[in-house]
Order: sequence, then structure tokens, then C-alpha cells
Amino acid sequence: MAINFEQVNFSYGAGTTLAQPILHDINVTIPDGQVTAIVGQTGSGKSTLIQHLNGLLKPTSGRIIIDDFILTNGIKEKQLTGLRARVGMVFQFPENQLFANTVLDDVMYAPINFGYSKREAQIAAKEALKRVHVSEKLWHKSPFELSGGQMRRVAMAGTLASNPDIVVLDEPAAGLDPKGQNELLNIVRDLKSAGKLVVLISHQMDHVIAVADHMIVMNNGRVAAEGTPTEIFNRDLSWFKEVALDLPKAGQFAEKLRQKGRSLSRRPLLLTELAKMLNGDDQHE
Amino acid sequence: MVKAIEINNLKYSYDEQPLFNDFNLNIEAGQWVALVGHNGSGKSTLAKLILGLLVADEGQIIVFDEQLSIESVHRVRAKIGMVFQNPDNQFVGATVADDVAFGLENTKVDSSDMPQKIDAALTVVGMQDFKDREPHTLSGGQKQRVALASVLALQPKIIILDEATAMLDPDGRMTVMETLQQLKQQFGQNLTLITITHDMDEATLADRVVVINDGRKILDGTPAKVFSQRRVLHDNGLELPFANELAYQLDKKPEDYMDERELIQWLSTLNK
Repeated sequence: MAINFEQVNFSYGAGTTLAQPILHDINVTIPDGQVTAIVGQTGSGKSTLIQHLNGLLKPTSGRIIIDDFILTNGIKEKQLTGLRARVGMVFQFPENQLFANTVLDDVMYAPINFGYSKREAQIAAKEALKRVHVSEKLWHKSPFELSGGQMRRVAMAGTLASNPDIVVLDEPAAGLDPKGQNELLNIVRDLKSAGKLVVLISHQMDHVIAVADHMIVMNNGRVAAEGTPTEIFNRDLSWFKEVALDLPKAGQFAEKLRQKGRSLSRRPLLLTELAKMLNGDDQHE
Repeated sequence: MVKAIEINNLKYSYDEQPLFNDFNLNIEAGQWVALVGHNGSGKSTLAKLILGLLVADEGQIIVFDEQLSIESVHRVRAKIGMVFQNPDNQFVGATVADDVAFGLENTKVDSSDMPQKIDAALTVVGMQDFKDREPHTLSGGQKQRVALASVLALQPKIIILDEATAMLDPDGRMTVMETLQQLKQQFGQNLTLITITHDMDEATLADRVVVINDGRKILDGTPAKVFSQRRVLHDNGLELPFANELAYQLDKKPEDYMDERELIQWLSTLNK
């Protein structure tokens, strides 16, 4: 169930005089069973890229192969229903899309739309709510009475209830407190353990290093790099400036330390790793 | 010592659930206070109470010697500028300059004075070159700086930022925080700043950090004092700023609190 982008170009208003090219010659593979992080500064094309994963946008040219489904420009809207049941999308600040009277009703909405019976939808919704650790006590409350972190998780459950194989999350931890952020990273890890392919957009490199196996760096509508986070975060410093990407905080700290004259043997990517290196433990490695 | 905000014995219940029960807080004029707490701790509710958007059940809120009441609420609000979390929810004008003008129009500023006031406010936040741009073409950080300019144009004595950087990317966050530091430098004692946040790295920039949870004050003091309480912060769903967590994990630690810059300096001279 890997995803392959083959020579994908995308323009808004393609074929008109106002055509605005956004994505240029995208060739990437998003591996199965892994967490792939898509990073890049605002306006680099990340969101446009992920909207191709369930056919919200169609490539102007090129194709995207999602398991046995081939998405091209010519595909009909009707043919996309099956794909949308398999690719679950959680947009930024999904709590803004909550609407039902109770948490349970809200989560049941999507499975009912995908043709589940009411009973089936309820079972699926309960499973999804358990998966994102929303306590049973809250199921019959109004979603609007919940805290920000709880609302975020209820909104995610709405997408997970139809049990998609591929889960796409746009900035899932944005705006949450540290505890809420950690809970979300744990949910990402759980989804991976459950065999899902997870795609994650994030501006927080510390989250990327914490959960991602694979990483795609976007810059000006092109893929600037693809690889494991360790490979990418060990690139030359000048490259990070070029593509306007941050290092994880530990890497940034080590860099500032180097500028003050204390160099470490390699670039740390985690706080614990940086602390160990400063404590001298890494000299024994 | 002039008090900007004085909160005495505040009681407030939300849906019959008591949130604030005998809450007290004094903020001195010219102070930068970071109000921190996890989602749902009551920090945003407190801001709404101060603005009179919510009405307390009991207790007093006094803003520059004026007690908040139905009668005084408009005068109190005129002293306070507020910037909210979502940059897209606070634009009304067709251009950046129009947006700043909107607030001024509401305060009956003479129209001949407006261009100068708009320019001055946009210059403070470094957005003067964008004055004819449509707000939707701006980045999140730029939008928040315009929102800040709209507030500044009204010359408030207090500015409250309610998680104003939570929806921004790292670059946007940085520019907003730099703008705040610059504001503080420029206005000094004439501007009281309250930043509501759960980003501890942001809180380190304030003069004073107040941690609240369940409507109670958990910690209150300088960043040095508050960030020495790692356990208490963890128990309240918060974390230490990066540099302080790092210092905590070092075998050989600095004796006193250090912010990031100081820690880097200290580590670089330790054993080259």
C-alpha cells in the first residue's frame, strides 16, 4: 500500500491564462507501514501535495499510485469514493469542524456517510474514540464542552472511525499544550503499530525526529530532499538556510555552541542525546 | 508602584463548575507577564474576565484604578488591546491599512490624523511596506503583527496576547516574539504586556511567569524561580524551556538559573 508520485505537476486554473503552477515534477515514494513527515516552510506546497492523496486535488499532469488506485487528471469524481474511504484526512485545527450534539454522534457521521448502518457506525466510532484515548465519560457530552486537546482527538476519531489504511494529518499537534502534543505523537505511533501508513505535515522538527521514519522536504513546490530524518538532519548547515528548514532544537543548540567555540563530535538531534554528549558519555562510543 | 491590573477574590463558575475560587493577582504597570497553563487551565477565561467579555460571579477586577463594572466596561476596554489566537478571525479591512483604520474609526479619531497613526503603528511592528496589501496574502506571522498594529494604534496601556503564536510556523512565531521584545524596549513602563501561552520558550522572555491550573495560581515569580520547579510544571501538564531541561540533564550543572544564551556561554567556557 505504498504511495508513488510520478512526474506530478499541479497548477490552479490549469489551461487558463491565470494558471498558477504550485507543484513541479514531484517524484516521491511514501513507504508502506511507516510514518512519513512532509516538511517545508509555509507556501512550499505541502498542503497541496497531501490534497492529492485522496483526490481532493487531481494532478494537472503525471499520476499518483495509491496501492492499486491510479489518480490522474482524467479521473471522475464518482471513482474517488472508494479511495476516500481508504485515505483518512485530518486537516489543521479539525476541532473547527465538529458540529454534532454529542461526541459519539460526531464521530459516527463519517462512517454513516460511507454506508455503515447506524449500529456498525456506533461500534466503529467507539473503537476510534478508544484508539485516541477519549474517555467513555465524554462520549455523550457536547464536543464543545471539551478542552482543546480533547476536541482535537474527537475530530481525529471522526476520520479514524471508517478505519482508513492511510491516515494523513496536517499539523496534528499545532496549538496544543505540551501534554496534548505528546499524546498526539503517541497516537501517531499507535497508528503505525496498527499497520497504518501515516503521513504527517509538521513545522516542528522535534516532532518529526520523534515519530517519523521517512521525511520529504518541500521547497517552492519541489521536492528538495527525501530520506530518513537522520540523513536529512545531518546535511550541511547551508542547505537548511537554502530550503528554510529548522534543525531540531538540540541541533540548533549544538550549532550555537559551535559558534561560541565548543564543537561536538556529531550533530545531536534529541535533547537526551545532546545532554549525553555534553556529559562526555559519547566519547566511549 | 502603579498597578495595571488588580484582581481580588475573584470567583467565576462555568456551567455551575467553579473555575476561579478566590483568585488573586496583581500586575504592575510596565511588567511583561507570561500567563501559562495547559489547555483548559483557565488562562483564556481570565483574559476574558479582565476584558469584561465574561462577568465574574464575585470579586473585583481593577484596571488602572478603575473597577470593572457594567458602567465602566467600555472605559476599561479602551485601556486594553487584545490579540487572539487565530489570525484569520480578526481581519475586517480590505487592505492592511484599512484594517488598522477600522479600530481608529471606532474611537472617533479625526480622519486627518489617521494616516499618520496608521503608519506609525505599522512601522512599530515592521509592516509599513505591506500597508496596501490584502490581508489574505500575508503569512500567519505577518497577520499577527498587523493585528498587533491595529491594537497599538489605539494606544492601549495593556496588551494581552492570547496564544497569539500558537497557530504560526516557527518563523512566524519568531518574528512575533521579536516584535514584542522590541515593543517592550520602545514603550518600557508605558506598556504592560500579558502573553498567554503554553510555549515555555516564549515564557522565558517575560519578566514574570504565572502558572495557573484549574483556576488556581500554582507558581508565580521570575522565570528563574518558576523554571526551577520542574516537577510542579510536569504535574501541571507543562514542560521546562529547552535550555532548562538540558541543564537539568547535565551531570555538571550551572548553579543558578540560566536562559539559553547564558547556558551556551557557560557551556562554551566550561571545557573547550
